[in-house]
Amino acid sequence: MKNVALFSMRNLRLGILSAGALLFLTPYIWMISTAAKSREEIFSSSLTLLPQHWALWENLAKAFSQVPMGQLLLNGLIVCALIFFFQVAIAIPCAYAMAKLRFRAAQTMMTLVMLGLLIPIHATALPIYVALNKVGMLNSYFALSAPFFISVFGIFLFLQFFRAMPDDLIAAARLDGMSELAIVNRVIVPNAWPAVTAFAIFSVVAHWNDLFWPLIVITGTERATPPLGLLFFRAAEAGDDYGALMAATLIITLPLVAAFLLAQRRFIEGITLTGLKG
Amino acid sequence: MREIATTHPLPDNRFVAKQAAIRAAKREEWVAWQLAAPAILLIVVLILLPTLAVLVFSLTNYELGYDDFQFVGLDNYIELFRDRTFLISLKNTAIYTAIVTPFSVFIGLGVALLIEGEKRGRTFFRTVYFLPVASLLVAMATVFQYLLHPTIGPVNAILSMIGIAGPNWLGSSSTVLFSLAIIGIWQSVGFNMVLFLAGLTAIPRELYAAAEVDGAKGSWERFRLVTWPMLGPTTLFVTTISVINAVKVFETVKTLTEGGPNKSSEVLLFTIYQEGFVFLRVGYASAMTVIFLAFLIVLMLVQYRVLDRRVHYT
Amino acid sequence: MSFFRKTIVAAAIATVFSIPAFAETTLNVHYPMPGFFKDVMDVISKKFMEENPDIKINFVSPSATYEEGIQTILRQAGTAEMPDITFIGLNRLRMIAERGVNLDMEPLIAKETDMESQGFSDNILRLAQVGNQQVGLAFATSNPIMYYNADLIRQAGDNPDQPPKTWDEVIALGAKIKALGNGNEGIDFRWQGDDWMFSALLFGAGGTMLSPDEKKVAFNGPEGVAAFNLVSRLVKDGGMPVLTKQAGEQAFVAGKVGFTFQTTGALRNTIKNVGSKFDLRTGPLPLLNPEKGRLPTGGNAVVILTKDTAKQAAAWKFAKFAAGPYGASVVVPGTGYVPNNELAAKSPEYLADFYKQNPLFQAGLNQMNLMIPWYAFPGSNGVKVTQTIVDNLSRVVEQTATPEEALNSAADEVQKLLPRR
Repeated sequence: MKNVALFSMRNLRLGILSAGALLFLTPYIWMISTAAKSREEIFSSSLTLLPQHWALWENLAKAFSQVPMGQLLLNGLIVCALIFFFQVAIAIPCAYAMAKLRFRAAQTMMTLVMLGLLIPIHATALPIYVALNKVGMLNSYFALSAPFFISVFGIFLFLQFFRAMPDDLIAAARLDGMSELAIVNRVIVPNAWPAVTAFAIFSVVAHWNDLFWPLIVITGTERATPPLGLLFFRAAEAGDDYGALMAATLIITLPLVAAFLLAQRRFIEGITLTGLKG
Repeated sequence: MREIATTHPLPDNRFVAKQAAIRAAKREEWVAWQLAAPAILLIVVLILLPTLAVLVFSLTNYELGYDDFQFVGLDNYIELFRDRTFLISLKNTAIYTAIVTPFSVFIGLGVALLIEGEKRGRTFFRTVYFLPVASLLVAMATVFQYLLHPTIGPVNAILSMIGIAGPNWLGSSSTVLFSLAIIGIWQSVGFNMVLFLAGLTAIPRELYAAAEVDGAKGSWERFRLVTWPMLGPTTLFVTTISVINAVKVFETVKTLTEGGPNKSSEVLLFTIYQEGFVFLRVGYASAMTVIFLAFLIVLMLVQYRVLDRRVHYT
Repeated sequence: MSFFRKTIVAAAIATVFSIPAFAETTLNVHYPMPGFFKDVMDVISKKFMEENPDIKINFVSPSATYEEGIQTILRQAGTAEMPDITFIGLNRLRMIAERGVNLDMEPLIAKETDMESQGFSDNILRLAQVGNQQVGLAFATSNPIMYYNADLIRQAGDNPDQPPKTWDEVIALGAKIKALGNGNEGIDFRWQGDDWMFSALLFGAGGTMLSPDEKKVAFNGPEGVAAFNLVSRLVKDGGMPVLTKQAGEQAFVAGKVGFTFQTTGALRNTIKNVGSKFDLRTGPLPLLNPEKGRLPTGGNAVVILTKDTAKQAAAWKFAKFAAGPYGASVVVPGTGYVPNNELAAKSPEYLADFYKQNPLFQAGLNQMNLMIPWYAFPGSNGVKVTQTIVDNLSRVVEQTATPEEALNSAADEVQKLLPRR
């Protein structure tokens, strides 16, 4: 009796999960279907998932020929890497100081961090733009990445992680006569990998997909990021070329999905260990 | 510290130890400052100063394209509270946040609980539910626009198959905010799920065993007595992030509705963007930004007051 | 023309403008709506560079819409990032001119002797004038036309070869198509986004937006009342659903809507999206007042921004080339815009044959004599004014306000947004 109930309970759970998954996947199924259709077929009165004429290659080819897709992907990679590197390099020491050292400004810092979490780039975009313009740095990788070198979210995440980290490790390192900087480099960072992975996903996802900021600081295709490249397919007055747009979206989304698939176990582990758990 | 203590054995050991402790504390403080310095510098340069600049802009009539501007005192703020668009936008943002936050938090929690309890297909489900977080929202919005098309969209086609006349999702002022909220929930559930999954993993198994001994037999009882209280801090964090993200809704509105029809999907960031970058009234847009920030900060303070008391920290 | 002679000509022109004859000039060119203009721009610049080897055209990254384009330009105004040439929506030229960002082309035109024979008639020059300034040269121009689904008209029992000539006929036929059921809609009218299609109704009734001195709202006169009433009737009697701009376009190309009214500029894309799903036709836009009615001109103009005199000479060459007959002969077939150049329209060397072979494109061409400038509101609230009109139209479309109520509040709100001076 109990076994039967358990069995049906499990299936119910699986059923709900699968139904939800289907719901969540619908837009992607539709996206792939659209990317595979020819322009004529995309909008029609009869709904079909499978195209009559496969135009996927055509649309993909269009995506690659309309914009320098390779260059876009490379730019995206460089910008995300730059941002991620600096965010981590700056956030880890700061979070360490706040979590593990006698630091009287820690409370004030915490307030700053919370404040920073609330201020989106949308709010500060204009002054930063004006400043970048003054120093003649627009249209560069620097302009794309520098405003994000500080991640208060990163500080917050690492802070939680370090708080949960046992003090013995650090104490032992101190007993060995290591300087604090050496401790950060040789003890903290190697032990912070799970948190770094978790943070990497958050950071890369946000900046790979960001359109708002690149739209403002970039005016040349040679420094454009992938989302900016998508604009090439958009024509407000005359309707978009949806097939090519979807094909391009597919190309841009795939690397992230692949990255998440690879990193997901460590990712969850990382967040678990950061103490966001409680 | 050890060196001092061992190599200089002085008479008044306690005094020296105290002195050393103070010195060590000072040194540690100094090191802490050094470690935090780059972060502090960047917070000041990239967050505080620009915010201050916005504050100053908000007191001027600065317009993009014109060279000069005058200080106009609080004129922008006075205009703001008479501005119908701004008030509507404030209201819509509040409604949107009120819909998206609870749904994305609770669906996120539900999905996390289901995945946690289910051994089969974990990787698959985690990836599927996280997918929207990793996607380019601007492009996905276009897909949603088609899915929700009132006449040729698949959603309404399916609804009509089961005999329901589908609504005019994004086209009608009575449903547009709701439709945008659905997209918002779709986008944020995965994020919350991941955070909850992490929170669940961290709950010690013994607690469940203990609860069972105490007579909590059903899964609901176990959830009520163990899971929910233990998830307290996670829930607080997830709710905070959800509120912040919901208030910042912009891209879907920009791509799908442009605030329409008749301002019924006008939200704060979109209004700010319109004023600042379309109408080019930077001074006025800055005043809105200041209000927007104040709104966020107040919201957070209230939330922490309310939730912090109930949260059980371990 | 041999290369040798071309070089001589280029050198001669260069000397006239007193720039070093063989110095290479690079022009940074910015344009909006790449999905639309990218191919066109590439073709034009390639040809231009062939003819002018001393000038290099470099495209900076384009903007998605006219609005975003003008924002980019105004943000960059006066900075090193500012492009030398841009293409700006015809109704936004005033914004640029009032801020003094552009170069006045008037003196340049005065120096030319053959503007008329190059196809730049006074009528066409006027499209890009603000006050006494020649802000730009119209590059791609459009007017609103009627698109219809001949299959649906046949199903409704009418003859698609005799499309409706008046709005009353449109409404009657729209109702019949709606009555076919099966999710078919009668009419779609592009009222969203900006005030252009409203202008089409208002100007079509012989009305104007403001009084001649531009101090008072004039669109609430009898012509405006007629326009607002018509929108209401399209919904109530003609079966026009409440659709967003994209949804309307998609429903039409899917074959679910009888009529759609929008810019001829969308023709090429509509043809591509419709394919062979149904029999697509075009016709003239009905006018509320067939005698006095006019139509607004959509599209954009090429505008020179650079303050560098050497670059200005090169930029002027490019502007003339792009807006000239060759440019038009590329733009028209590529998009559906109407020629902004009379020479291009009439000369068999350019487009005469094209129009014979592509009758769908003729609807816009035939309305060219009705085209007047797309009205640009004075002062800094221009964009907001158009937004106000659209918002109030949406109240009519959703039937939450009577046409009179909506028109009156539109008039009141717009009046407040006009400059007080």
